[in-house]
Amino acid sequence: MKNKLKFILSTKTSFVLISLCILTSLSLDAAEGGPCKDYGECDEFNYSLNNKESLQRGASTFLNYCYGCHSLQYSRWGRVAADLNIPEELFFDNLVFDNAVKSGDLMKGAMSKEDSADWFGVAPPDLTLVTRSKGDDWVYTYLRAYYEDSSKQYGVNNLVYPGTAMPNVLVDLQGNQKLVCKNIPLIGKNGGEKRDDDGKTLTKEKCGYLEVVDGEGLLSKEEFDSLIYDLTNFLVYVGEPAKAERERIGWYVIFFFVIFTALSSLLYREYQKDYH
Amino acid sequence: MNQIFSNIFNWVNHRLPIVNTFERHLSKHPVPKKVNFWYLFGALASVTLIIQIVSGIWLIMPYENTEEGAFASVEYIMRDVDYGWVIRYMHTTGASLFFAVVYLHMFRGLLYGSYQKPRELVWIFGCTIYLAMMAEGFLGYVLPYGQMSYWGAQVIISLFGAIPYVGESLELWVRGDYYISGITVSRFFALHVVALPLVLIALVFLHLVALHEVGAGNPEGVDIEEHLDEDGIPLDSVPFFPYKVLNALVGIGVFMTVFAIIMFFFPEGGGYFIEMANFEEANPLVTPEHIAPVWYYAPYYTMLRAVPDPLGGLIVMGSAVAIFFVVPWLDRSNVASIRYKGIYSKIALGLFAISFITLGYLGTVGVTEIRKTVSLICTVLYFAFFLLMPIYTKLETTKEVPNRL
Repeated sequence: MKNKLKFILSTKTSFVLISLCILTSLSLDAAEGGPCKDYGECDEFNYSLNNKESLQRGASTFLNYCYGCHSLQYSRWGRVAADLNIPEELFFDNLVFDNAVKSGDLMKGAMSKEDSADWFGVAPPDLTLVTRSKGDDWVYTYLRAYYEDSSKQYGVNNLVYPGTAMPNVLVDLQGNQKLVCKNIPLIGKNGGEKRDDDGKTLTKEKCGYLEVVDGEGLLSKEEFDSLIYDLTNFLVYVGEPAKAERERIGWYVIFFFVIFTALSSLLYREYQKDYH
Repeated sequence: MNQIFSNIFNWVNHRLPIVNTFERHLSKHPVPKKVNFWYLFGALASVTLIIQIVSGIWLIMPYENTEEGAFASVEYIMRDVDYGWVIRYMHTTGASLFFAVVYLHMFRGLLYGSYQKPRELVWIFGCTIYLAMMAEGFLGYVLPYGQMSYWGAQVIISLFGAIPYVGESLELWVRGDYYISGITVSRFFALHVVALPLVLIALVFLHLVALHEVGAGNPEGVDIEEHLDEDGIPLDSVPFFPYKVLNALVGIGVFMTVFAIIMFFFPEGGGYFIEMANFEEANPLVTPEHIAPVWYYAPYYTMLRAVPDPLGGLIVMGSAVAIFFVVPWLDRSNVASIRYKGIYSKIALGLFAISFITLGYLGTVGVTEIRKTVSLICTVLYFAFFLLMPIYTKLETTKEVPNRL
């Protein structure tokens, strides 16, 4: 018992505990909302850079729907084709819409910055590094958070980026998404649904839910989510083309240093016998 | 053949003290035989310095020090230069770990009284290295010319403006322009890759020469020089090679494993090593939502923010770093190590560590009322540790230090 008390009171432990308490209490005192604004917490995105098919579909979506306005100015055409295992001829025939483009060219975009600033009020940003500056969770959530809002210029608004200047270019695929109110069952303290005397579930109306009317878009909700998944996955790849290779090589380097540490510590122990 | 080599070697050695220097600083140099892991961070700091210099040289080759080209050239390194990403992440990870290692190295000094007589100069050279590192780190952070580079530089350079009378012209002189521009980037580049590395290497050299003159300390605070063998070598010491080298090698192995885990799997360090906003090119027209320094400056940034007056903040921040220099004369204890010091020293050092970590955390997040109050309390605790040191180290009862290690 005495030993236990001694452990609790041992200076080192108590200092660590005190710092942890302070830091948790301070971090709970949040000053700013989450990065996904009105949407709440961003949806989690787990990239899969070894899934080449997903990356290929994402590249196709990007080049068909996004590249008209958004450049990938630090990325090169040929590198994308090679990294995504797309034969260069097939790639240039089907996904590159400018015949002047060469394999080593940067993906500079299809519009001049001056024109687009004129047309949209603000030039559409380059998206090479968007998953790194905003986060992949943010991109994945943003593209799925458009809703109908007639007060806006393009008739749409976005929960993640209120007042966004971009129209919902994927509306044909997704269908018109609306903000709706839903009756949510009230949950009691014991974790069960609350019911009235007749056994009917008690509900409360809550608003701010995104909903697409069935059959409005070309794709179902699942298909659309998976399209956005592939698109975001592609943007994660473009943000750092070496990422998959980096994580592959990393294991070997760590393995090397673990062996290095083990051997050097064995050698050190052997030499330590000289003076112990 | 062997004869020829040894003749050449002897010829050189008679004119240049190769053998002597090597033995004095590397092979025969006596080190205390019993030290703990806290004594490894000096070696790790030198390893990191070498990593930074080597990776830095390779980064200079493709980097472009212009306003238009800086950001794009970093992406060029990440994409088009073969294994450029390895070199860049080595440098960014190295920068953060350099500070981590140096903070732990300095804490070791406070823990075991490494600054006490006769090691005051070793400590002062060390503090100067830390100061030079802070400048080096800041200058380097501006070079990729992302949003955080630009706005971080804006905050730091405007600090000069808080100095009375000369402030404004000093600001202009540092920037080299009326606003941060390509001129600022290219002068920061020159300072980052030539001027400060020269200063750092010279200081590290002095730090080591001074250390080898007085000998390394130990966690017991025992003076090993008091018990010598017939050759004048301390009885409680072992030669640097191979014993200390092998010990350091184990530490380096563990350190490099951690280094590799961060570099290959978490190079952004969750936004603490490379901030997310720095993946956007510098834009003087758009201020980022919240400007936060990288983690290693965060404690001082919090102090700066805690004081409402800019000049006051600058003075507090400057004193917080400067006060390290006088620690050897603030400590009035008759023992060196925390193991033999009294309870006051233990509490003071503990509170200091907690306040430093809390200040660091607060520097990376936004400001609220509670956080503001906590920053002020922690700033006071930080300074109390130093300013009250002459009193509490004198008042407390210390334990008796053994004779031998």
